[in-house]
Amino acid sequence: MEAIAERENNIFRRGIDELADSSSLTKQEKAMKLVSKMERLVVSREGIETLYKISGELDSAGIFEGTNWETPSTLVPSLVRGTLLAGPPTSTMEVISELRLLAVSLGEYQMSGFTKEQATSFLEDVLVQNLDFALGTLREEARARLRSREVKKVFALFTYMMDHLPLNGIKERLSEEIKMICAQRPVETRKTKDLIKLIKDRIDISSGSESDRELQFFVDAVFHPSPFSEKYPDPKTYASEIKKLSHTDIIKECKTMGQAMEQTGLVSPCHLPLLAHVIGSEDERELVGDCLALSPAGRAEWETHREWLLKFSKEVAMTHSPQSIYGLSRLLNKTLLSRKAVLAGLNNMRGIKVHPVVGRQIIKSLDDSAQNEEPLPHLLSGIVRILGQPLGVGQGNNPTCQSARGISLWSRHAPAKLIDMVITVATQNKLIMRFENSELNSNKLGKGLVDKLDMELDVVSAVLVPHLDKIYNEMMRLASGRGEDPHKWVNPSLYGHWIQVGFASAYNYLSNSIMDYEGFTRLYYSSFHPEYNGGKQMTYPCPIGIFITSAQGEMLGFHAISLLRIGENEEGEMRAYFLNPNNEGRQNWGQEIRPTVFGNGEEAGESSLPFHELASRIYAFHFHPVDHVRGVRKVQAAEINRVRQLASESWGKKYIWSDIPKIW
Amino acid sequence: MAKCFALIGWSQPVIESMQKTGKPFVVVSLPEFEPIAKEQEIPFVSYKLDTWSDTSNSIDLFEKLKPFGADVAVPLYEETVEWAGALNSIYRDDPRVLNRAMLFRNKAMMKRKALIGGLKVGLFEEVHNPRQVEQFMDRLNEANLQLAGEEDSWVHIKPFSAAGTVGHKLLRSKEDIIKKLQEEDFPCLAESHLSGKEFSCEAYIHGGKVRFLNITEYVKLGYSNFVPAGPELQARRKLIHDHVQQLVDIFGIEYGMIHPEWFLTEKDELKFGETACRIPGGHILELVTKSYGFDALAAFVLIHDPSLTGEELNEIFPNDQEHPGIYNGNVMIYPQKKKISELIVPEELHEDPYFEDHTLVPPLSGQKLGDREGFGNHFGTINFRGEDAERMRGLLEHYQTVDFYH
Repeated sequence: MEAIAERENNIFRRGIDELADSSSLTKQEKAMKLVSKMERLVVSREGIETLYKISGELDSAGIFEGTNWETPSTLVPSLVRGTLLAGPPTSTMEVISELRLLAVSLGEYQMSGFTKEQATSFLEDVLVQNLDFALGTLREEARARLRSREVKKVFALFTYMMDHLPLNGIKERLSEEIKMICAQRPVETRKTKDLIKLIKDRIDISSGSESDRELQFFVDAVFHPSPFSEKYPDPKTYASEIKKLSHTDIIKECKTMGQAMEQTGLVSPCHLPLLAHVIGSEDERELVGDCLALSPAGRAEWETHREWLLKFSKEVAMTHSPQSIYGLSRLLNKTLLSRKAVLAGLNNMRGIKVHPVVGRQIIKSLDDSAQNEEPLPHLLSGIVRILGQPLGVGQGNNPTCQSARGISLWSRHAPAKLIDMVITVATQNKLIMRFENSELNSNKLGKGLVDKLDMELDVVSAVLVPHLDKIYNEMMRLASGRGEDPHKWVNPSLYGHWIQVGFASAYNYLSNSIMDYEGFTRLYYSSFHPEYNGGKQMTYPCPIGIFITSAQGEMLGFHAISLLRIGENEEGEMRAYFLNPNNEGRQNWGQEIRPTVFGNGEEAGESSLPFHELASRIYAFHFHPVDHVRGVRKVQAAEINRVRQLASESWGKKYIWSDIPKIW
Repeated sequence: MAKCFALIGWSQPVIESMQKTGKPFVVVSLPEFEPIAKEQEIPFVSYKLDTWSDTSNSIDLFEKLKPFGADVAVPLYEETVEWAGALNSIYRDDPRVLNRAMLFRNKAMMKRKALIGGLKVGLFEEVHNPRQVEQFMDRLNEANLQLAGEEDSWVHIKPFSAAGTVGHKLLRSKEDIIKKLQEEDFPCLAESHLSGKEFSCEAYIHGGKVRFLNITEYVKLGYSNFVPAGPELQARRKLIHDHVQQLVDIFGIEYGMIHPEWFLTEKDELKFGETACRIPGGHILELVTKSYGFDALAAFVLIHDPSLTGEELNEIFPNDQEHPGIYNGNVMIYPQKKKISELIVPEELHEDPYFEDHTLVPPLSGQKLGDREGFGNHFGTINFRGEDAERMRGLLEHYQTVDFYH
């Protein structure tokens, strides 16, 4: 190993010396060569650390000479993102530039004409504008553009910056960010909790300002939401100390802890000992309702299934996943256990023998501290959380929006089917689905969309997605070459009979053109907009294909979302509410189109947009094949034109448009 | 010591090397390089090297270079060999220097000279139309005692004066003559196929003697090579050295560098391919610099100076008899598809301990590529460095097949 390290050192040394030694004639070529040597380093934390240490030397040797990075005072924080998305070698240069500025900010390197304060302020802006990189969860735009190696690169850089920059200057933005993430109630909370821990460890939030109070609220929720847990934040100590508490104090503990969970969707490690204490004591068992923040329906559900739940809750791996307490709470509020099939399914799952391959996959998706655990309790924890928070499913850093969309749909509308699928995969390490007249066995299929799944996923997704992804891919293969978008056949087969069989796509694969966009949009309005469809509400989610556009409105790629419902917000604006299986519902699609997740009547996990804005990004949807024509002619031309303008001036620029009417 | 070197052609690495030596020089190149030369404060004479006329000729250029005190001309590119030859003829007061330069610019003349001097060359002829190529192939077939149904003898077609492999065509059959040859290929040189392992040398000549000899191993012509050559070729160093010296003697070369290509047969015989007297392609001198630890580009310029003393020469060059113990190699990367949009560098390249650096540039989005001419337009080079020739060869062989552009 030492020999390798030394060799690497030598390679670097030679490169830096050559760079320092060269005149401006060959500087840029030498710099590019040196950057190519760094590629290996920029993807890991240790590598970034190494580069940080020599960043000043690189700067002095002239690595940025003759480039846009040469004069730091002319750098613009809002351009950093685009450069990082541009791929190597540009992205690597950007990383080095940030690192040298970090060195300036921390007083370890000096540049003429650029102060420590300027460097700090620049990097703060960069952090705030790219919090998804800092938190390790990508926006769709970044996912569409970055290869997995580049993802590692930006994560490594931002983690390093977060760890070393003083973060006090970005408190307000962090507070807003956490609020918005929590408003969406994601199933996966590891990264949110990491961020909150970072705030707790690194930022002074004692000033009493608005943002400090908000941040304190989240820190409390994650570490010590109740009076007594503040005193004894270590769960073990807390467990033994609460035994000494009076009944009144226990009530207080249950209420405050339950409320904190209800308000943030985050569960503290002390919640489990409290729940165990309450369940374990005959006298205090009635406090379960408060402790779990149950609704009246949830309390009734608890009473009905109490004996079963007492057994079941012990089998769920709550120690490692306190978040399953929140899942359990939501599951009870939805009264899912009163569905016989769900109860039976969960009962079946309790006794399964997990296939070793799947077991390893489950453990891989967990934190390092759980690496020696049995997989089944974690699988149970996973299913509880997915059933409780169907709209909190995310695809992680994987291009598997289709699978995430399916898991969410089944969780809401066919929970027993979902449980059954999980059991099948967990025991057999395979999934069989039917497509037209053939059976597809995931184990006998080739590759899916992903080669290597990023395992920062919830347990259920970690188990199901590799199989669903392969089956989806195979279905797409079988249905291709039919002259129409394969999703027409694939969606109903993959997701099930909840999907309407009518299918419209504005995009023609064969001619790479947009066909009869007006007719397409009219059909969309008459299918979903209450003013044109006879005031009907949607019954089941509708899979929809959209064009993802960048903040500048440029076409980036295709994406799958689920349209959930149409309704007015408080201001009377007609909005479309949808699930974006991306981890982050807030996006910027250009042309002022910015999906929101909060403040426009969204339920936790929903995104929303004004009806016409979402319409302008859609290229395919399913519709009811019988009464869809009702309002087609009623849709105003002005409305259609509004949608068309948004479309043609963004993604539409990439296609040929044909206005010959077609029969939909 | 030369008063001033006139570098004929614009080459940034050479200029930089010369700046480091601190020796006086002036660059002669096309007018389009004048602004950058001014900006960088590089002594510069703007000259239309691509035109020969009453106002653009060596006498005129000689006058223009007088103020700089230039007394040694150095050709950096194939196309500037005659210019440098003409100037040096004046400087050395020896008209034959120009004639020698012409030798390097006409492959038929070059071969004939080598043949007269006793080097082994293939059968060759100057041809003016496809019919003559066919007749040449017929005579080759006859000499090779072809039986009915047997394959035709291979014929190589090369322009007289192009650099390296530009315009080189291999004809394997009579059909190829019809398919591959066009009117604008003629007149040219037709040559029988030489078998054996192809390699090149870089020989620095001073006072008509080989002063420093590097042997470069070609892994694949136009794609990859490494310096110095592996043990198999190094074992024939004496044989190679003698042949190079013989070539120098035959051509009457006194000062400069030659870059001949040879074929080593299984019987340990050397056949002469062709030679050039400018900076070789494939970044070979860069590799020489790295392996031997001296500035091979500066040495290339300096060796043209007749007034260098033995002592000065000893300072410039290391001992070429001693193996440097390290190999530097490179592979040039060409996109394999017509339309490319992305550069993907495989992870194992970054991880490889022999990987040194690369100069691959990402394509413009959806870039379409023109047809390839010679080996001119590669998209970048990957450099390797390591102690084991076998492993070096394996790496270069592997990476020339990898598709970096998608």
